[in-house]
Amino acid sequence: MLTPIVGLIMGAMFGACLVLAGLTDPDKIIGALRLKDRDAIRTILVFVLVGMLGTWILQLCGTANLNVKPAAIVTVLIGGAIFGIGFGLTGFSPGTVLTSAASGRIDALSTIMGMLCGAHVYVLIYPRVAEPLEKIANYGKVTLPEITGSSPATWVIPILTAGVFSLILLRRQRSQKVEPQHEVGEPLIKEDFYATVGSSLARECAEAAQVFVRWKNIAFAVIILCLLLLQSSFWLAKTGHVKIDGAARTDQTRLVRKAANPAATEPERSAKEKVAQGPPEAGQQLKRYTSLITFGRLASAVRIANMLLVFASVLYALTMFCTMTVSLGGQNHICRAFYLSLVLLLLLLPWQIVFNSMGSGVIYTPGELARWCTADTSAGLGALLLMRFVGYPALAAILLFLAQWRSLRWRRTLMRELEQE
Amino acid sequence: MNNLSVESPPLSWWSAGILLGLLQVLAVGLTKPLDMSNEFIVADAKTLKHLAPEYAKTHPLAGNEEHTKFGYCSWFCIGLVGGGLLAAVRLRTWRARATTAWWRRNHNAPVVLRLIAGFGGGVLMLVGAGLAHGGTSGHLVSGWAQLSLSAVPFTIAMLGSGMLVAYVVYPRTPNITKRGQ
Repeated sequence: MLTPIVGLIMGAMFGACLVLAGLTDPDKIIGALRLKDRDAIRTILVFVLVGMLGTWILQLCGTANLNVKPAAIVTVLIGGAIFGIGFGLTGFSPGTVLTSAASGRIDALSTIMGMLCGAHVYVLIYPRVAEPLEKIANYGKVTLPEITGSSPATWVIPILTAGVFSLILLRRQRSQKVEPQHEVGEPLIKEDFYATVGSSLARECAEAAQVFVRWKNIAFAVIILCLLLLQSSFWLAKTGHVKIDGAARTDQTRLVRKAANPAATEPERSAKEKVAQGPPEAGQQLKRYTSLITFGRLASAVRIANMLLVFASVLYALTMFCTMTVSLGGQNHICRAFYLSLVLLLLLLPWQIVFNSMGSGVIYTPGELARWCTADTSAGLGALLLMRFVGYPALAAILLFLAQWRSLRWRRTLMRELEQE
Repeated sequence: MNNLSVESPPLSWWSAGILLGLLQVLAVGLTKPLDMSNEFIVADAKTLKHLAPEYAKTHPLAGNEEHTKFGYCSWFCIGLVGGGLLAAVRLRTWRARATTAWWRRNHNAPVVLRLIAGFGGGVLMLVGAGLAHGGTSGHLVSGWAQLSLSAVPFTIAMLGSGMLVAYVVYPRTPNITKRGQ
């Protein structure tokens, strides 16, 4: 007796919410599929994410009623592709089409007729086509945590994080909307200003900005190259393609240590040989080429890269600052770019030299590299090593690209504004 | 607001998304996750059972009690129509219309063509949903909520072909009204 009532109430609430969310409108669905209607994409994304989070919590409480579909990969792929064609063509889904028809859409009625015919076609072809196909690559009613032998949390948390990150990225539309508001107040100042000083000042500023931008781009290229060089040096040392000189592990105190205790380097040498042997079969050809690279040469390259990296990142932040001061538009973007370049500079600088082990920059010394690569990586050090030498530079690279992207947007905004003058 | 504009919905994206998500959670807690496409197959199997009982008996779907039962999902669909109608009337957005802003922006064709495209799309959608054992609600929304394996290939295939078809059929973008404008 309760089933019809619960079904009716749940259906009514869901139908009303679909109308309120605008998802019954095929225009919103097509806008989402064309990646033009960000609000529709965000609605669907939040819908899926909240549903996932809530279902997970219910699962933890033991009160979830699940209905997992069979994962017959071939039929799901074919079915999904055919479904997508209809979905993209009409902008309706089997759920929204009913609500859409109820809200006055005649095209939804024709789609419902089509769906009923489609259901008939499916029922007719089921014994001959669908049933045999379902037996291919059928994993049964399994979930991702079950098939991977992991807990749901390992799936839910990363997916939620990725979803939230996507929502943040989709926020970009708002900043575009803000721009005209920002420009509204400007013409008054500009008109007065140019009336007295003349537009030659704007031209001069634009020319200065162009020079700075050119130098900034050179610094950007140098930073990228140096980061790549440091990264390849790390991997050469890590994979054992470059023999690590045991004494080089503490490059600043190398001479002192050698003189004081020459025997201390012996165990280190055996460790170094172990690393130098590397995997027995892999990279034989690479080894032939990399045998020319000794650790001494690698250390010099790292030192040069470090020096260039410091100079280039300081120059990058400085030129960004100068560009900001001469810019006559798009201040929002260039200020953000400058701030990002400052953070990048702070991340790059080798703080471990100043603060010893209390802080660390992306830049590493050859001694540090040797010390880390010959260290025992069993007790969780492996992950730390990768974070230090790969994750940290990757973070710096992301910041660098963000700064560059911001400055690109600044340039576009400025050009647009100058054209309007 | 002309016919070439996509109107903004009454609720903001985040409140609409949270509301729909919470309803899904309520459905999971009370009965089972959302799944609508199966109801069309149930309706057809039921009709087949009445019209051709002999054939239906031997058919793996129409002969299966599970596929011909008028149960919770059938009531859910009736509720869906009722709820949609009530909301549209209450919001005063109910009006008969047969075409969309995207269609008008891209095709200078009579409305009949839109109806024919809708019919063809409906046929394809249900054949696809039948083969995949679920549609957008069954795989995309409920599938991801339950982290089912089937949601991954369905999402890839559906979004891939859906985006491609939408790009081919609707290359030009109409004016999309944002909230507050």
